[in-house]
Amino acid sequence: MAMKYLDKYPKNLAKSLWVLKPCWAVMKLFAKTVTHRSMTILYPYEKEWIPDNYRGRPGLRFDKCVGCGMCVRMCPTACIKLIEVPDDEGKPVMRPQVNLGRCAMCGYCAEYCPLDAMTVTPDYELAEYTRYDLLYGPRRLNYEGTTPGMEVKLEVTLPSDIENGNPERRVSFFDLDRPELTDSKCIGCKKCAKVCPVNAIEMVEKGVNDKGKPILRPVIDNSKCICCSNCVLDCPKDALQIKEVL
Amino acid sequence: MVQEYSSILDWIVFNDPMKNPYYPFVDTYNLPFDIGYKLWEILGGAIAWLINLIFPGNPVSTWLVCDATSTLMGLLIFMLLIFIIAFVSTLIVLWMERKCLGRMMDRRGTMVGMKGFLQCVADGLKTFMKENTAPKKVDKMTYWWCVSLIVGLSVLVLCMVPLSQRWFVVDYQTGLLIIMAFFALAPFLILVSGWAQNNKYSLIGGMRAAELMISYEVPMLILIATTALLAGSFNIGDIVNAQNETVWYIIPQIIGAITFFFCATAEAERVPFDIAEAEAELVEGWQTEYAGMKWGLIMLGDYMRGSVSCSMFAILYLGGWTLPFIGNGPIPEIVFLLKSYLVFFFMILIRCALARVRTDQILNIGWKVFMPLSVINLAIVLLLKVGGVF
Amino acid sequence: MMTDSIVPVKEMEDRMDTDKMWVIMGPQHPFSHGLWTLKVQLDGEIVTDAEPIVGYLHRGWEKETENRTYPKIIPMADRLCYAASMTYTHLYCMTVEKALGIDIPEKAKYIRIVADEVCRIQSHLMWLAAVGTDLGNLTVFLWCMREREFFLDLNVKLCGARMTTNYPRIGGVRNDTTELFDRDIIRAVDRFEKAMWDIIALIDDSSIFVSRMKDISFLTREQCANMGLTGPAMRGCGVDFDIRRDDPYDNYDQVDFEVPVLTKGDSYSRYMIRIEEMFQSCDIIRQAVKKIQALGKNAPYRIKTPSKVPAGTAFTRLEDPRGESLMYLVSDGTDKPYRLKVRSPIFTNVSTSKAMCLGCRIADVPAILAQIDMCLGETDR
Repeated sequence: MAMKYLDKYPKNLAKSLWVLKPCWAVMKLFAKTVTHRSMTILYPYEKEWIPDNYRGRPGLRFDKCVGCGMCVRMCPTACIKLIEVPDDEGKPVMRPQVNLGRCAMCGYCAEYCPLDAMTVTPDYELAEYTRYDLLYGPRRLNYEGTTPGMEVKLEVTLPSDIENGNPERRVSFFDLDRPELTDSKCIGCKKCAKVCPVNAIEMVEKGVNDKGKPILRPVIDNSKCICCSNCVLDCPKDALQIKEVL
Repeated sequence: MVQEYSSILDWIVFNDPMKNPYYPFVDTYNLPFDIGYKLWEILGGAIAWLINLIFPGNPVSTWLVCDATSTLMGLLIFMLLIFIIAFVSTLIVLWMERKCLGRMMDRRGTMVGMKGFLQCVADGLKTFMKENTAPKKVDKMTYWWCVSLIVGLSVLVLCMVPLSQRWFVVDYQTGLLIIMAFFALAPFLILVSGWAQNNKYSLIGGMRAAELMISYEVPMLILIATTALLAGSFNIGDIVNAQNETVWYIIPQIIGAITFFFCATAEAERVPFDIAEAEAELVEGWQTEYAGMKWGLIMLGDYMRGSVSCSMFAILYLGGWTLPFIGNGPIPEIVFLLKSYLVFFFMILIRCALARVRTDQILNIGWKVFMPLSVINLAIVLLLKVGGVF
Repeated sequence: MMTDSIVPVKEMEDRMDTDKMWVIMGPQHPFSHGLWTLKVQLDGEIVTDAEPIVGYLHRGWEKETENRTYPKIIPMADRLCYAASMTYTHLYCMTVEKALGIDIPEKAKYIRIVADEVCRIQSHLMWLAAVGTDLGNLTVFLWCMREREFFLDLNVKLCGARMTTNYPRIGGVRNDTTELFDRDIIRAVDRFEKAMWDIIALIDDSSIFVSRMKDISFLTREQCANMGLTGPAMRGCGVDFDIRRDDPYDNYDQVDFEVPVLTKGDSYSRYMIRIEEMFQSCDIIRQAVKKIQALGKNAPYRIKTPSKVPAGTAFTRLEDPRGESLMYLVSDGTDKPYRLKVRSPIFTNVSTSKAMCLGCRIADVPAILAQIDMCLGETDR
């Protein structure tokens, strides 16, 4: 490899006529911009082309969302909050609300959404008159014309797959990890079943204890589970742990 | 003079101003005075006619249209006209700088109305709206007077530049020298205002302005003297006529023209020689403490001085308002303004392409490059003069 | 130290007895690109002493990271330096990967190289723009910003954001290269190399620019070593050291590039190093894109990593556009770091400002300090 610039410079400036060459360079551009248009984009009237995956404000597809709270946990600026809103049939459901005054547009909510209900949107003109207007409720977060390109897939390759010589297999981050029960710690309080947003946990009777009461243990439906770790966080006795598949 | 006044046309007669015994320009025709005189004929004549309708035969009406009053009022309108034209041409220079600079930098320049021309108006209004603050510890008198004098002198010099044989204020025999003298006064005031502001940046800026003035005034005056020598007169009209009769002086004095161009850039304190207000290290140099419209007027004054230097270049080297083979065209004023705009375009080009020079470099260039060059130019002209070419 | 300055300060002091003046080029001064202060002592126009003051932008970055889980620190690392956000994110991810003891896929390594070099070019362009304005020319500023726009567009194309990219991840990168990204980046690089010669013609062929930078503010190799000057400024002073070549990380040993070194040690040679680095970055990008294409579309780009880092320490360094940046991670086995220490190159580089400015004129102070490319986000953290 050779140096491209250091081979030619520094030059003997007397040979390049002191100041004439920069004047000539400027004059060339002047002639170009007088006949053609200049590089400026007249912003409010013209806008730059932006791709689908542009990270503007977060968008939410209300129907796809299950209210698992993954976005709330992953948000680095803590701008997302779960609030209770009525859904299409009037039933109260938990959905995220985004405070765009704090949002850093990092795209983590869209990336870590297990169901890709959260998306990034190319919407970046977000100025409002009051701070209150910057609170985007679940319905307002909806973005018209969400395309598949706006979803951020979290696809990973397992280190074990690479070792096994199957490096091309990519799996969704949320299809792998499942909560695992430590049976001795569980007290059968049913909390995990209550907080599960997708109803993947079912409390099953497993015999009777010495007082004659039924022993309840959670059974996790692996096909339904989205690995949101709500049950893990809400377990009062730390009986549930996410088992990481590597 | 007994005259019957019956209709309005008896009041508005369009006398020849040159036949007026009070005509201020001795025996040369002056277009702006002519316009002002005629405007007053219409305006004053109409007023006199109206008053005469109500009070027939009153002395006020006749006083309004008498020779002396017409000259006085004509002169007032003449001053206004001269100032407005000079002011508008400065605004055009400002607009041109913004637009051309924008295009050279691959952007668009100002965009507000009339291809961006109205941005000057908007800026003026904005600076008027600003609070007129003055720091507590400044030397009040010098602080206020310096800015007034800098702006006033710039306007004065700008108005004194003749646009053509018929568009001038005073036809001095030493017109060129007087313009240059007033032109060179501003750096003194900059130095004083730098002291007055009680601010370190301003102080350094003021000192630099003084350095600049000392090192660039001398070659510039030598160059002007050279041109005067070539033309045989310090009168601007004579210099232009001499160029019209022979050849534009840029051809025999090409070295001098280039040197003068850079000296004029330095005199107008534009990039590359704007060390007095070097933004990167001295905030705004000597203008640091001037806020609001004071700053706006200083900026306007800067551009006025810039357009004066361009006009001087056009007069000294580009044949003023004459064109080769045509001489005085039908509208020599436009020709002159276009020539000075052309010179200003090169100033913009220089500003766009070059960086600010250091203080010691500016002195080096002034004394070790421009000074010898102007002397060489003088020698060439002397040889030409002695050899009988001119 | 005194012998290197252009005006013998000591001699002058002996000769005349003049008052010295402290001029504060403070946080709101147009010369300071960011919030920092340089107090300079002036004797007339000549600088006799200088003292940098930083810390106006301290945000408690290092402490803040201790309350966050590992992935949440990545967007914070972006904000360390707005001009070269990708390198800090990259450095952070490398540190955590080292603590985890994992090796990331080849494709991710090359994508990171591409992203890093795009970042380097863009950061250097911003520096060049600042040099232009500091020397009193706005054209350089706007031309450089125009070229930089194409690289910001590449960032948008790659990860959807212009400046705070949030792109590298622990175990790889956020997403695969998007469709036609390799075509676009080659086009952008080719275009940049052509356009760069115009900017060079504006600066290096102009005697004013060159004379403003040449033969002022000499630094020797020893001074560099003593004061911890790193990066292009150090290579301009004759120290032949580049972490990309001498301690390669992330497949930098697989690409072929030159490390420009100049021995003169003045302001102009420090400037030239950065210009040449931009051209070298273009070469690196071309090679890395070829490697990415050779790896194929389906190659892994992100591997799954455990959320908890085993207890221990990890330490990595990386060649930032501004110098040598370093992160030191202490983990206590949870999903949050116990301590994360950042060594920012500018924090040490700015301490050389006294040695650089001594004996120069005040008009040169912005031009000299532009060569260390201030970025306060990382300095104050």
